[in-house]
Amino acid sequence: MLRRYFHNRPHLVYIGPALLILGILTFVPTIFLYGLSLTNYELGYPDFKFVGIDNFVRLFSGQDAEFWYSVRISLGFMIIVTVIELLLGFGLAVLLDREFKLKPLAFACLIVPIAMTPSITGQIWKLMLNAENGVVNYLLGFVGGKVIWLSAENAFLSTVLVDVWQNTPFVALIIYAGMRSLPSEPYEAAAIDGANRTQIFRFITLPLLLPMILLAVVFRAIDSLKTFDIPYSLTQGGPGSSTEFLSMHVYRLGFAQTGWVGRSAAVSVVLLVLITVISWFLIRAYRKGVENRG
Amino acid sequence: MNAYGSKKLGIGTGLLLLIVCILCIFPMFWMILVSLKDKALTYDPSVWFFSPTFENYKAVFEDRNAVDYLKNSAIVVILTTIVSIFIGGMAAYGFARFEFKKKENRAFWVLSLRMLPPMASVIPLFVMASLIGVLDTHIVLIVAYMLFNIPFTIWMMRSFFEEIPIALEEAAFVDGASRFRVFVQIILPLAVPGLIATAIFCIINSWNEFVFALFLTSSQASTLPTTVTLFLSVSGVAWGEMSSIGVVTILPVLIFAMIVQKYMIRGLTFGGVK
Repeated sequence: MLRRYFHNRPHLVYIGPALLILGILTFVPTIFLYGLSLTNYELGYPDFKFVGIDNFVRLFSGQDAEFWYSVRISLGFMIIVTVIELLLGFGLAVLLDREFKLKPLAFACLIVPIAMTPSITGQIWKLMLNAENGVVNYLLGFVGGKVIWLSAENAFLSTVLVDVWQNTPFVALIIYAGMRSLPSEPYEAAAIDGANRTQIFRFITLPLLLPMILLAVVFRAIDSLKTFDIPYSLTQGGPGSSTEFLSMHVYRLGFAQTGWVGRSAAVSVVLLVLITVISWFLIRAYRKGVENRG
Repeated sequence: MNAYGSKKLGIGTGLLLLIVCILCIFPMFWMILVSLKDKALTYDPSVWFFSPTFENYKAVFEDRNAVDYLKNSAIVVILTTIVSIFIGGMAAYGFARFEFKKKENRAFWVLSLRMLPPMASVIPLFVMASLIGVLDTHIVLIVAYMLFNIPFTIWMMRSFFEEIPIALEEAAFVDGASRFRVFVQIILPLAVPGLIATAIFCIINSWNEFVFALFLTSSQASTLPTTVTLFLSVSGVAWGEMSSIGVVTILPVLIFAMIVQKYMIRGLTFGGVK
């Protein structure tokens, strides 16, 4: 009986183990997370009780001002970072899209930020952005500038800067790959019809590159919404809570400053839902873009 | 061929590219520089030329247990990569060569795990691991890292398997070979470059992972990225030691990344862009 079941589904032997492991690793913790978010479990206290949706009521009724602040700066960070990286990455891809001898060297340089451990990235930028002894202010000093990079007003923008440094090459590489695979026929047709450069860019290049651009947006938007490593080592969410993004908020609430695991589980449920909704929309847009190209 | 025709590099664009390249490698360069500085020079950004000293490296290896972190990172990364390549590679072949109901839906579900915020899985994993008593062990990280390594392997290897002509397998089937024998003796040898590239990406991603390592380990199984927690306090931050342990952390991944440069775009997009 079991033998016949597998005989009729030969693929199960191959994909079964992976799907089983991934299923256990996602479903069990997710259910556990939802369960936790309904309790008042605290780190170090074995006793806890179910409090229903109290944790969520607290979040959405506005009692928890820090939560809404986290949501706002997380969404803001996502939009700002994605737009800047897309624009810079596009420009960089245009620069790379030509023949020159040292191209492998240029790529080797671009890979450095992509591969660098994000938590170490935050750490080294913390040294470089230091107001008194940092090299960035030292170099700015030659043109008479000085910025307190990690002050309460500037910490958010500094985090943006570091994220842009780390991830722009990633966007550039994806868009560059798209430019390399553009078909030549539409351009020949456009040349015959006498289209100018702006028209060619607007009506041929941009639509053909749209799937790649959307792919880059999907990756960057989702990853920047989840951001944790860089803020953790760069600012620890501070000064105060000025860079306390959602992931950081979960960490501080549940594990760093207070041990309210139940409440922080509720925040991470919100983060999970937010990411699911946003990625659903983005991926749908991406699939549409791919279909329209054909 | 490039759609624009082959463009040449002008002086202006060349200069711009040079600036971009310098910006990309400057933080690494600066980190190496600070790590080689004498204690007295560490906090002076105007000193760029000096006689290098290795006292910071000596300090992190002798006083900060850098060897332990290095060892933990290596154990976790190697084991999770081996298991993920094995299990994910099998599944990738299943997705590449079989037709079955809801295939694309399942493949897509696997891909969607890439979007999962680690912060959402790590809280229940932390509580579960502490209930079972495996907190702060290698095994908990090895298992947790499979959560992103297996989906990655499935999508990467699927794209590599699909490039292998199906006619090769059919010829072997005609000769009476079983499906599994064909997989092991014909497909796997042909997929070795892809397997190596995929394994290296798994190594890079696991090596760089921070959230799981921060929550699930504390002293016995901590990996290199968690060393940033050693240097959080404002008083007594040792920039030289911070930098030298940073260099120790990023050098292996940079070397690996240079090896898979050819597959970089493919690896970054889960096999989606070749």
